[in-house]
Amino acid sequence: MKPWLALGAALGLAIVVAACAGHDWVSPAALWRAIDGDRDLGSRLLVDWRLPRVLAAGCVGALLGLGGAIFQGVFRNPLAEPYLLGSAGGAALGATVALLVPLALPQSLLLPILAFAGAWGATLLVLGIARVAGAVDAAGLLLAGVAVAAILGALRSFLMLALSDETVSLQIVLSWVLGGVQTPTWPVLGLLALITLGCTGLALLLAGRLDVLGLGETMARAFGLDVTRFVAVAVLAGSVVVAAAVAFGGLVAFVGLAAPHIARWLVGPLHRALLPASALVGAIVVTLADAIARAALPPAEIPLGLVTAVAGGPFFILLLSRRLRA
Amino acid sequence: MTAVAAQKLVVTRGGATLLKGLSLSLGATGSVALIGPNGAGKTTLLKVLAGLEAPQSGAVQVGGQALASLSNAARARTIGFLPQHFEPHWDLAVRDLVRLGAERGGRPSSGGSGDAVEQALVRYELRALERRRWSTLSGGESARVLLAMVLVADPPVLLADEPAAALDIRHRLEVVQALAARGRDRLSVVVVHDLDLAFRFFDRVVVLVDGQVAADGPAAELLDDRRLDAAFGVRFERIRTAGGFILQASTTTA
Repeated sequence: MKPWLALGAALGLAIVVAACAGHDWVSPAALWRAIDGDRDLGSRLLVDWRLPRVLAAGCVGALLGLGGAIFQGVFRNPLAEPYLLGSAGGAALGATVALLVPLALPQSLLLPILAFAGAWGATLLVLGIARVAGAVDAAGLLLAGVAVAAILGALRSFLMLALSDETVSLQIVLSWVLGGVQTPTWPVLGLLALITLGCTGLALLLAGRLDVLGLGETMARAFGLDVTRFVAVAVLAGSVVVAAAVAFGGLVAFVGLAAPHIARWLVGPLHRALLPASALVGAIVVTLADAIARAALPPAEIPLGLVTAVAGGPFFILLLSRRLRA
Repeated sequence: MTAVAAQKLVVTRGGATLLKGLSLSLGATGSVALIGPNGAGKTTLLKVLAGLEAPQSGAVQVGGQALASLSNAARARTIGFLPQHFEPHWDLAVRDLVRLGAERGGRPSSGGSGDAVEQALVRYELRALERRRWSTLSGGESARVLLAMVLVADPPVLLADEPAAALDIRHRLEVVQALAARGRDRLSVVVVHDLDLAFRFFDRVVVLVDGQVAADGPAAELLDDRRLDAAFGVRFERIRTAGGFILQASTTTA
C-alpha cells in the first residue's frame, strides 16, 4: 500500500507545483481561489489555460510510462522504449503526414489514425529486422530501432521540407518533433483522460500474460501461452498507447524508459502493479518536466522533449553502463 | 493416465538432421532416463514431445490424442516441461514464480490454485524463501523453485531436461530422485547426464545416438549391454558396489 500512497501524493504535489509554476508564478492560495470559482483575469487564465495544460501533461506522461512498461514487458528488455524502438518515430511520421499532406479526411480524425499506423508499422518493422538478422536480444533490437528511427526521421524531415508552404505552418510540425503538450480545451482534456484510463485498462488485460512471457519464451510456451500471437497482440496494444501519447504530446524521449524502471523499483516486477505504477511515475515526471519547460526561461518556452532528453539521456547511459558491466 | 508415443519423428534445422525418424513409446507410468552423447538429439526430442517444437514429419500422441490437436492450455496442464536453463527476465519473488506455474497460461485457473501454491511451497521447502527474489537464490534453491513451478500443477506427464546438471552432488541426488519418484504413478522422462544416477534410479533407460534410439530397455538389463559402450565411444567397466553398479569409463584406444 505504501508505494501507492507515495505515488499518489507525489502526483498531487507535482500537479500543484506545476500549476503554480510558469511565466507568472502564483501561490497555492491563488490557485485555490481560481479553482474555487474566482472570476478575475488571473484566475480565469489559470483555470482555462494553465490547469488543462498541466493535466494534459500528466495524461501524456501516464501514456508514455504505460507504453514503456508494455514494450519492456513484450521485449523482455529493460532498455526497450517506444522512442528508441522507432514506434514513437513512426507515430511522428504518421502525424506529420496528417498535418502536411492534404487528404480527404478531417485532420482531427486522420492524425490519431496515422499516428497509430506509424507506431505499429515501425514496431513491426523493428521486430522483423531484428528477427531476420537473428538478433532479438537487447543490442539487436536497439540497433534495429536506431536504424528505423533514423530512416523515419529522414522521411519526416523530407516531408517537412517538401510539403510545407505558407498555408501550413512548419511551427506546428516542429513543436511536435521536439515534443510539447498543447493546451487543450476542457472537453479535449476529458477525452484525453478517458483515453488514458482506457489504455490503462487495456494494458491491465495483458498483465498476467506479460508476467508469463517474462519467464522466457520456452517456459511461456510450456505454460500454455501462444507466444507468437500474444506478442503480436501486445505490440498492437503498445502501439495504440504510444500513438495516443504522441498524438497529444509529440516526441517526448526517455520517459517511457525511465518510468517503468522507477516503478519496478517501487512496486516490483509483476505487471499488474507495474503497469499502473509506471503510468503514475510517467505522469509525475512529465508534469514536472512540462513545468520546467514553461518556467525555466520566461518568456520563452523550452520544448518538453528537450527537457526530458536532458534529464533522461544520462539515466539511459547509466542503465546501459550498468548492464554492460553485469 | 497419459501415455506418450512418438512416431517417426524427423527434425531438421539449418541443414542438420537432429532426429532421424525416431519412434518411441512411453507408458502412462514409469520413470525413463534419456541418455546419450552430446548432440544426440535429447533436448530436441524432449521439446518435440512437449509440443514446444514441431517436427518436419512424424507425430506425437498424448493420451491417445494427437499432441498438435490439443489446445495450448490442455497441453500445459498435461505436460510439465522442465528446461535445461531457466532464467526469468524479471527478478520475481519465489511465491510469484510458483503462482505463475500454478496458473498456467497467464489466466488464473478456477479456484484451487492458491492451495496448490501453498502445498508446493511446503513440499519443496520454499516456505522460508517465498518472498525472496530469484536473483538472490543459490543454485540448489533455484532448482527447487523451478521444480515447484513445473510440478505445482501436478501434470500427468513430466519431461525434464538435465535440470540438475549444474548442481552439487547432494542437490543433484535430491532433484533426480524426486523426478524419478514421480514415475511410480505418472510418467517421468528425464534427460540425465550422470549415467550412474540414470541406472540407479530409473526403471527404463533409452539411449539416443545421432537422432535415433540406439538402445532401449529396463535399466538393469541395459547396464550390461555393449551398445552402451558404442553409444558413448568409450569402454565402460561395470564396478559392483553395495548399492548397485558404477560405471567407469576409459577411452577405447586402450
